[in-house]
Amino acid sequence: MATTALEQELKEMIIDALELEDVTPEDIDPDEPLFVEGLGLDSIDALELGLALQKRYGITLESDAESSRQHFANLRSLAALVEARRAQ
Amino acid sequence: MTPANSDPQHWSRIKESGSAAGVRTMVWIRRRLGRLPFQIMMVLVVAYFYVAHRLHRRASKTYLARLWQHRFGRRPRHPSWLCLRHFWSFGQSLIDKIDAWSGTPPTLRFEGGARETFLAAVNSGRGGVLYVSHVGNIEICTAMSDLREDFRATLLMHTYNARQFDEVLARSTHRANPPEIIEVSEITPSTAMKLGARIAEGGFVVIAADRVPISDSGRARTLDFLGHPARFPEGPFWLAALLRCPVYTIGCFREEKGYRVDFERFDDTSALGRRERDAWIGEAMQRYVVWLTRQCESTPLQWFNFFPFWLDSSPADTSRDDETPTT
Repeated sequence: MATTALEQELKEMIIDALELEDVTPEDIDPDEPLFVEGLGLDSIDALELGLALQKRYGITLESDAESSRQHFANLRSLAALVEARRAQ
Repeated sequence: MTPANSDPQHWSRIKESGSAAGVRTMVWIRRRLGRLPFQIMMVLVVAYFYVAHRLHRRASKTYLARLWQHRFGRRPRHPSWLCLRHFWSFGQSLIDKIDAWSGTPPTLRFEGGARETFLAAVNSGRGGVLYVSHVGNIEICTAMSDLREDFRATLLMHTYNARQFDEVLARSTHRANPPEIIEVSEITPSTAMKLGARIAEGGFVVIAADRVPISDSGRARTLDFLGHPARFPEGPFWLAALLRCPVYTIGCFREEKGYRVDFERFDDTSALGRRERDAWIGEAMQRYVVWLTRQCESTPLQWFNFFPFWLDSSPADTSRDDETPTT
């Protein structure tokens, strides 16, 4: 699957928000886990990422740990979340 | 993972006193029978807790002994009497809490520019984090939402019990602009996003930083408080760093007539970079403890923490003054 414009935008947002200086957008595989494996982000990074999403797209999640884990699994799921919520 | 959390006497493992039925009864007495029967009832409740709960009594005496040592360089002269007054002060705060929620506006006295700082904070529209402590009466602070319609507060609470208390109170009483209460055992991305949204709307997130929650996976630091090591949570400081917003401290302390409100600027994390965070958290926690110490010094009997707080709860601090037979 080709990278969509939104996915590209999110990659840049992640790199920017988390100050991942030695990572380029091409390094982020949309299907690879963002946390622990993959990019190796931790729980603080997850909070940071959530806040960046909130600030940029005005998204909030239902207070449910499980669903937020699903949404934050990889770039693809994150893009799906933004797509669904910002349309509302 | 932290020593405090595996401790069976950790505050969060002890059911907070004040069951739903109890709170409803108290509100009913206050409403139907008036203030005096309500106060008499509270005296009995406080006396019962003093007699029945050795753990709370000992925690109180340890705190008072350490505060007196810190402030006057000696132990309290009448520890049991002081401890009883400490308990009564808590009962009084419950009376005030129920009054505040019932819509009886407390008399507030702002001191030393606190009113100007508060109004400027609300008017700026930038919202912020408000650090509170268990000194004084947090509920009175949130009653300020009745004074200013555009002051919107979101309270972060750690325990189910505390939230239940306030929800019962909210249902049994009537308020125009009650604060929102969010119960958190740990901060998840969804909680952070919700709080970020509140601040973006110009709201305030109220959080106490003088208790370590159970499931905070060890994010706590040991700091010196009143001359002894105690654990303080990193969570509230991480949150302020991540939310990138103005940070204030707020306290409400009971005086002879009404409440004294203390509202100060603490910091602003808007421009805080990721690399500076860790250093900021350490420095901010230290400043919070200095602030907390000052609150305890100004109103010694209003730190409502009746749980073992220090890592070294040496029996020498309490056993000598504890007149109750322990065998």
